[in-house]
Amino acid sequence: MGTENPNRPNFHQGPTSTPFAAPQTNMPIGSSRPMVGSQLPAFRPTSAPAMPNSSPFSSPGPPAGSGTPRFRPMQPGRPAPSYGPPTTGPPQRFSAPQFPQTSQPPVSQTSNVGQPMLPPSMRPPPSTHVPSVPMGSPPQSLYTVSSSNNPPYSASGPNIQPPPSSTRPSYPGYPGMQSSTISPPPPPLYNQGGYALPQPAIPAPFSSHQGGYGQVPPVASYVGGSAPPTGVTPGLVEDFSSLSLGSAPGSYDGGLDAKALPRPLDGDVEPSSFAGMYPMNCDSRYLRLTTGAIPNSQSLVSRWHLPLGAVVSPLAEAPEGEEVPIVNFATMGIVRCRRCRTYVNPYVTFTDGGRKWRCNICALLNDVQNDYFSHLDATGKRVDLDQHPELTKGSVEFVAPAEYMVRPPMPPLYFFMIDVSISAVKSGMLEVMAQTIKSCLDKLPGSPRTQIGFITFDSTIHFYNMKSSLTQPQMMVISDLDDIFVPLPDDLLVNLSESRPVVEAFLDSLPSMFQDNVNVESAFGPALKAAFLVMSQLGGKLLIFQSTLPSLGVGRLKLRGDDLRVYGTDKEHTLRIPEDPFYKQMAADFTKFQVAVNVYAFSDKYTDIASLGTLAKYTGGQVYYYPSFHSVIHKDKLRHELARDLTRETAWEAVMRIRCGKGVRFTSYHGNFMLRSTDLLALPAVDCDKAYAMQFALEETLLTTQIVYFQVALLYTASCGERRIRVHTAAASVVADLGEMYRQADTGAVVSLLGRLAIEKSLSYKLEDARNAVQLKIVKALKEYRKLYSVQHRVGNRMIYPESLKYLPLYGLSLCKSTALRGGYADAQLDERCAAGFTMMALPVKKMLKLLYPSLLRVDEYLIKTPAVDDEFDKICKRLPLVAESLDSRGIYIFDDGFRFVVWFGRMLSPDITRNLVEEDPATDFSRNQVCLTERNNDMSRKLMGILKKLREADKSYYQLCHLVRQGEQPREGFFLLLNLVEDQVGGMSGYADWMLQIHRQVQQ
Amino acid sequence: MAWEVVLWVIFFTMNVALVASNLYQIVCLTDLEADYMNPYDSSSRINAVVIPEMVVHGVWSGLFLLGHWFLFLLTLPIMIYNTMLYSKRRHLIDVTEVFRSIDAEKKYRIVKLAFYLLLFVLVIIGLVISIVNNLIDDKDEVLHGYGIY
Repeated sequence: MGTENPNRPNFHQGPTSTPFAAPQTNMPIGSSRPMVGSQLPAFRPTSAPAMPNSSPFSSPGPPAGSGTPRFRPMQPGRPAPSYGPPTTGPPQRFSAPQFPQTSQPPVSQTSNVGQPMLPPSMRPPPSTHVPSVPMGSPPQSLYTVSSSNNPPYSASGPNIQPPPSSTRPSYPGYPGMQSSTISPPPPPLYNQGGYALPQPAIPAPFSSHQGGYGQVPPVASYVGGSAPPTGVTPGLVEDFSSLSLGSAPGSYDGGLDAKALPRPLDGDVEPSSFAGMYPMNCDSRYLRLTTGAIPNSQSLVSRWHLPLGAVVSPLAEAPEGEEVPIVNFATMGIVRCRRCRTYVNPYVTFTDGGRKWRCNICALLNDVQNDYFSHLDATGKRVDLDQHPELTKGSVEFVAPAEYMVRPPMPPLYFFMIDVSISAVKSGMLEVMAQTIKSCLDKLPGSPRTQIGFITFDSTIHFYNMKSSLTQPQMMVISDLDDIFVPLPDDLLVNLSESRPVVEAFLDSLPSMFQDNVNVESAFGPALKAAFLVMSQLGGKLLIFQSTLPSLGVGRLKLRGDDLRVYGTDKEHTLRIPEDPFYKQMAADFTKFQVAVNVYAFSDKYTDIASLGTLAKYTGGQVYYYPSFHSVIHKDKLRHELARDLTRETAWEAVMRIRCGKGVRFTSYHGNFMLRSTDLLALPAVDCDKAYAMQFALEETLLTTQIVYFQVALLYTASCGERRIRVHTAAASVVADLGEMYRQADTGAVVSLLGRLAIEKSLSYKLEDARNAVQLKIVKALKEYRKLYSVQHRVGNRMIYPESLKYLPLYGLSLCKSTALRGGYADAQLDERCAAGFTMMALPVKKMLKLLYPSLLRVDEYLIKTPAVDDEFDKICKRLPLVAESLDSRGIYIFDDGFRFVVWFGRMLSPDITRNLVEEDPATDFSRNQVCLTERNNDMSRKLMGILKKLREADKSYYQLCHLVRQGEQPREGFFLLLNLVEDQVGGMSGYADWMLQIHRQVQQ
Repeated sequence: MAWEVVLWVIFFTMNVALVASNLYQIVCLTDLEADYMNPYDSSSRINAVVIPEMVVHGVWSGLFLLGHWFLFLLTLPIMIYNTMLYSKRRHLIDVTEVFRSIDAEKKYRIVKLAFYLLLFVLVIIGLVISIVNNLIDDKDEVLHGYGIY
């Protein structure tokens, strides 16, 4: 079994350089999709005539590319990119089917390919075929086929010429499929496509299977051709990847070769087709659709069992040089469609000599304002296109004029609500926090307008007057918790640059002020109300530092107790939802007044994150949870994450809306925000680490358009005080074919959405139900996919799945094993579970996938090698499968899930190494938690720290705290590492191989 | 028999109040859906009338016990349902999740409205009969319309 390995480089026709040229030039055609619609017919004829001569396709290629009518305004600078950017890998998937389609005559001529033929008999000298069989040579040697990586179809024509090279068993049956002359093609045909065998196993299965299939049903029924998103056409006959269950060599009892299971060891692979087809789309870091092919009918939607939607991260961090351009229309006003309010974007078309423009979303013809007018050139494009990024880029930022403000843009505002009860002091949280805030004062965005304020609370609430004329802050204590009032109207929130000395004095004295505090109570609710009263004028960001369970006043919570008996009953979910409606109400009020709440929770005991986190959930905030916080261990983590929270670029008082073309409507939204109207997300604060997911549905039974456009618009106040609108536009083609939907599916987005749905489900149902729902969705999707092919192919006992979704089952499994959803009572602490749930609801796709399938790296070899070469680092960054077998007891491994590192020391590791890396005697066990990795004065230690630093730099949104674990050290090892090896069978959940079998069995039912 | 007429008038007014309250809530929800109203206003308005409506319904049902047990039985399910909602603290609209539940809430209220309108018809019939009976009371010619209840 195995998956198609798209990038296996060895085309067999290796030596022939010309043939290679062919596919390259061919690309534009290749990637054009049948679905794009009208433009296709236009260019097909061009390629058809070229067919009979069977000259290398390079000749039809370029003319076809350039001569095709483009579907939308193109910038002059881009040569024929509409069908595929030349730079992306060759998505030749579509080239294949086109030929048969367009060139019926050649097909019939060359019907010899369609003849019933058995491979051995079918060995005409390839050269004779050259003229007549452009499709590819007949199978020559069955056994040498490296099945899965059939070279692109288009390349096959030329390839025939070098006679000995055409080892592909190729596609004789192929023409038949389109001309519907069903002929029994040779066996290998069948094997080759789907047989994506693991490299070592390639030849064997072939031989073993080939006899079995005397004939292959026609592939037909779809035009698409196959393709992994990355490029090389895997099989022309079978468009899916498959996994043989049962007879693969080297398999163990389950009949499943565990080594060959698909694993996302390269991390997240974004589908290139999305950007490839529509080069003017916004980058996939901002918007990812679960499938790049929008179904055109309700019936198609109902057969696509996965969520249909998008994951949007409007402020995702752009790498250097790719920043979103800022457009200022100044007095002209932002150009928008009159009817649907769509912002002007690259996909609008200008007509009538440039005096009108047609909205791409609602097709309304709008007038072009005089200030915006520009003449059109001969091709219908504006002559000043290069001066208008909004007409060439998928992502732009408009500077919003006054009509987009309901009040003057607010200043960045940070308000801190700090628990100073005994546990906060004892854990050292207070000190670390005060130091961090102080060190960040210079870097807070929006200086000099930035405002800041503090309240602290235990059983009473303390306000601080920070008026700039004071030298020391004045503390005011309110002990009446029932009737909260603000003792001072102003001066609780002060301008940072004016009151800087007072603020610093406060932060310096804060830890010592409460040093001897023995108060164990927490008047959280009243303090929250007080904070609300102070902040409601302006809005801003409220950072709550909480280390005990709220015990006084409104919103007091009780120890709900993570009761074992509740699990498995209908009441189970109530543990995961807020107990007191106070929290939801407060959250709603906060959002209304543009306050975003970030909750930092530190307790070692139960703090009811489920309730506290609600505040963050509905205000676009975030929950940071540090169970059993201890400043010695966790200080770096808190410092980094708090600093990031304070200093990252933040969008204030934002609202977001996603518009889409007629016939499609967004129905549900998932993430941390509150809906202000049916489709308007209220986001008091947004930053680059947040993503929002949404699902859409078709409003009409049949979509008539060829392309659906999506436009995300985020209206926000930048820290500098400017009101801006960030607009991301993307187009996706509408298809009538389910196979195409699957082919263009985006695992990352699907998993992200599935995860959010499952977590939401766990809030109203049992955990088990949520997990079953995930599994059911995957099973249904694969079943539907199987149905697509089982008619034409003898899929037998194999498990088939689209190449694009090959990791879906694995991610589904790890979703079920994630902290938020795993097991039951004993498998995760309630608070941790809830915190993980809140975190996952806001994670961008890449981080989510990293969390679900963490990387495991072996580093000991790199450490031992003396000369440290920098580029070697990349070499060691080879991710290993997450199974216990990957761990060699002589090695050191780093496990990285994006939130923490676990450094695992093998039992047989030489003590010298350990001594070099860790301060203590190698015999010490790490369980005391005190052992930290610090840079020591030797090469090895420096190298290890270097690795960790590099890994951390790659992902700055969280700080990965390093945990040391020694092999065999229970329960620590189990807790930190073994539990997270998602492919293993852990705590009642099946392992990867079992899971696949389980899914396969259900699919077959 | 004047008290009978008074009772029917009370039934009638209460029924009108219930119908009005439901209509009001439906209008609020529709406005919310059409974005004429923000979720805060909409849910606080609806929540303001939820409890009074439940109380009115309870009293109304109770009064039916005075001789109109059939009507009482008709209104009993809603009373039980209301009690259930209240005890599970689900009777109020959750402003944070209002859009997720808007369809269900609207449907629930439309069904309730239909029910109250049905009752409205019955109450009017009862009212008319009782008035007529009251008018012709002297002649001892009682219309025997109560049988239907």
